[in-house]
Amino acid sequence: MSIPPWLDDLLWTYQNLIHAMGVNGLLALSMYVVLAIGQLSLGQAAFMGLGAYSSALMTLKLKLPFFVVLPASVAAPVLVALLIGVPTLRLSGVYLAIATIGLGEVLRAVYLNVDVFGGALGLNGIPERAETWMIFGILAAGITGLWLVGRSGVGRAMEAMREDPTAAAVMGVNVPRYHLAALVTSAILAGLAGALSAHVSSFIGPNEYGFEPAVTILSFALLGGIGTPIAAVAGAWFLTLLPELMRDLPQVRLTLNGVIIVLAVLFLPRGLLGWRMGRKAA
Amino acid sequence: MMRRTLAIALLAMPALAQSQPVMAQPIQVGAIEILSGPNAAYGVAIKGGLDLALDEINAKGILGGRKIQLTVEDSAANKDQAINAARKLIGRDKVVAIIGPTLSNEMFAVGPVTNERKIPTLGTSTTASGITEIGPYIFRTSLPESDVIPVTLKAAQARGVKTIALMYANDDAFSKSGFDVMKAAAEKAGLSILAIESFGSKDTDFSAQLTKIKSLKPDAIGLSALVEPVSGVLLQARSLGFGKETLFIGGNGSNSPKLGEIAGPAADGLIVGSPWFIGKKADNNEAFVAAYKAKYSRDPDQFAAQAYDAMKIMAGAIDRAGAAEPEKVRDALAKTDSSGVMGPFRFTEGRDPATAAGVVVLVMKAGKFAVLE
Repeated sequence: MSIPPWLDDLLWTYQNLIHAMGVNGLLALSMYVVLAIGQLSLGQAAFMGLGAYSSALMTLKLKLPFFVVLPASVAAPVLVALLIGVPTLRLSGVYLAIATIGLGEVLRAVYLNVDVFGGALGLNGIPERAETWMIFGILAAGITGLWLVGRSGVGRAMEAMREDPTAAAVMGVNVPRYHLAALVTSAILAGLAGALSAHVSSFIGPNEYGFEPAVTILSFALLGGIGTPIAAVAGAWFLTLLPELMRDLPQVRLTLNGVIIVLAVLFLPRGLLGWRMGRKAA
Repeated sequence: MMRRTLAIALLAMPALAQSQPVMAQPIQVGAIEILSGPNAAYGVAIKGGLDLALDEINAKGILGGRKIQLTVEDSAANKDQAINAARKLIGRDKVVAIIGPTLSNEMFAVGPVTNERKIPTLGTSTTASGITEIGPYIFRTSLPESDVIPVTLKAAQARGVKTIALMYANDDAFSKSGFDVMKAAAEKAGLSILAIESFGSKDTDFSAQLTKIKSLKPDAIGLSALVEPVSGVLLQARSLGFGKETLFIGGNGSNSPKLGEIAGPAADGLIVGSPWFIGKKADNNEAFVAAYKAKYSRDPDQFAAQAYDAMKIMAGAIDRAGAAEPEKVRDALAKTDSSGVMGPFRFTEGRDPATAAGVVVLVMKAGKFAVLE
């Protein structure tokens, strides 16, 4: 069975949007992982940038095939997550947020000033290697994995830490270990998202991974809700689709975008999908 | 009731479509510009220029009386939205050609998509190097900085400039690319470069860089940055004692009326090369400026002028192609030989503007640009 031409056209038209939904879904998961244990860590955009730049350089300079590049793209984000994870383990709340935003700004300065990253001009001419099925395959695996973890005893510990870290520690939860594990998982997911997005849009620049995208990624998870991984992904999809759905209203697009987000936050404080994960009684 | 009306309307639609003769169908052309967000001023000016040219084109009609239907999509200066807009224009609106997008960075993302689908794409404001190397369907009417800066430097040399210091913002693509060009052009012109200093686009303190440059006493300082930091550099330079003996040379970012508004008298004496000037003495330019003022009750800027010419170049190409087919439009576009408000226009083999003859060097006088005598 072949795809009829009109459907082919439709898929081509919205291909980039579909890719963006997948990539932003992964970023929302990356945010969910840290929020789920009550950590306000905003390094996702920075990890995404590391994944994007390292994978783009592997493709452009080393000419490696994509099936090598994609797994290797998590190396740089994980390394940096371990480096900053250990000293920031004792930070929480806004202090952790500031430290992780700082990471993004430091990396932006590195991309701007080190020649191999192309400076302000970024890297262009990255071949289109990532396929739609890869993006959604990884997203599905991510959701399933996090869902299974969330339903297990680990998920219980995560929820306990989110509500009260001190009480959780008293109950025998190894809080620092969970923090580090969550940060590394977050870095892996964001790194993959970065590598995939670099290999579908042919151009990356240093300003795509700074403060503004960090806040956008946070809003994915907050809008969707952090009760389940699905909720965070739903938030990402909603925020990705919204500007495109309003393409026919050019004058009010940005305003309406903002109004809808404010209304959602006001009236759905627990997110679009606010329920908690179902769990069998112990 | 509502549903029945809708059903009848749907049934009637194919009949309506058939009853229209093919010749009267408008030709679909798309444009992608920044119409919202902090950089919307560029896109709005460009859209103004496009619409003005379109009025004139559609009054006459092309390809024997057909009109052009121009769909302008917003990119909000966002790479992903620009790609979405391009895909929507090609996939849904079935455009034969695209004008834009506004920024060079957006073109680096959109160009590969339109080129793959063989849709001729015409940048009107993309000045970075490497744009037209994306592929054979990517054109631009905007003079790359590499064509404008040498003209400016020549004017500087005519005033006795032999040594130069360069300052640029290293965190945005436009300023960095302009600096690369300025450095290469200065070397080629035989100027000796005494210092190269960089800063961030949002910086407000430039005293360290300026103090260092002052001790080297260059004849001129070349600035590649957007208008806000350029204004900041000039204001601080004056307070540090830089006088008339130092000639300030701006890149394309300085070519904005905002420079006079922000920096005031501190900007006096700065020279900048421009592909277009509002006071340019030419019949078609005076007519364009008058028509633009009449339609929008404000002055056109270079982006509006470039867009106005580009729309006419595109319409001319579709007319000469003999059919609204992307492939033929591309070939006709490559053979463009026209004359607009910017001056005579042709494309090089590499689809860049062939001549920089229209470039004028402007000098800041009492907060306003005037042609350098």
